[in-house]
Amino acid sequence: MSEQKVSRSLVVTDPSGVHVRTATAIQAVARRSRSEIQVISACHKAKGTDIWDLLALAAPCGSTITLEAAGPDAGEVLDALAPIFTGDETVLLAALRKK
Amino acid sequence: MKFADFICPEAIRADLAAVDKEGAIREIVKSLQDAGKIDPGENESIVKAILKREELGSTGIGRGVAVPHTKHPSVDRLLATVAVSRQGVDFTSLDGETVHLFFLLISPLDRPGDHLRALENISRQLRDDTFCRFLKQAKSQADIRTLLAEADNNQFGS
Repeated sequence: MSEQKVSRSLVVTDPSGVHVRTATAIQAVARRSRSEIQVISACHKAKGTDIWDLLALAAPCGSTITLEAAGPDAGEVLDALAPIFTGDETVLLAALRKK
Repeated sequence: MKFADFICPEAIRADLAAVDKEGAIREIVKSLQDAGKIDPGENESIVKAILKREELGSTGIGRGVAVPHTKHPSVDRLLATVAVSRQGVDFTSLDGETVHLFFLLISPLDRPGDHLRALENISRQLRDDTFCRFLKQAKSQADIRTLLAEADNNQFGS
């Protein structure tokens, strides 16, 4: 599979913003991925595999986040990450439980 | 947001006795009650809400740190405190390490922004290894208060 570099901007619709569970879910997806993930908020750029970095995003509901991925599964991993920012419980559980 | 904006200094504990997750949460919530920040009649409801949140996934975020939290209708502003455990508590943390440092947060139902800014401050400050180590080694409430004030004054690296 060839290397890809993709980015996507989205609005956080989870009423609680990017909180601990969101950050944990992002980290879980990023760790399973073979691509480098960056999550960018208005105040911070976080590495997708670093929970501490992700918690520093401080992104509330209604704010815009940019996701960047570089690697062989870049497009696929952004498809998996984007729904996490809705706060949908099914998506969060799937992200956290999937091995 | 600085620690002084959300940490209740009177409720800081440098000598947590509990050795398990529920015991630690109960002890920290009790310290907020003893400091007059929580109505005694709301204590059990708050503990249960925090434990319920933990069932969804541990707030032990690694490096010996946990951020147990909940929203609760009995508070009208973000309420938080710090507790240190010398022996460490099994908190089923993301990295499997025992937790020595707790930041417990209780938020009003309608103020998620303050909660996020508090988390941002905690994660930014505790990334500094020196600050994190000093907090875990703190032997008194006064030590912890001093360290938090120094962090608020940007005296650590981050």
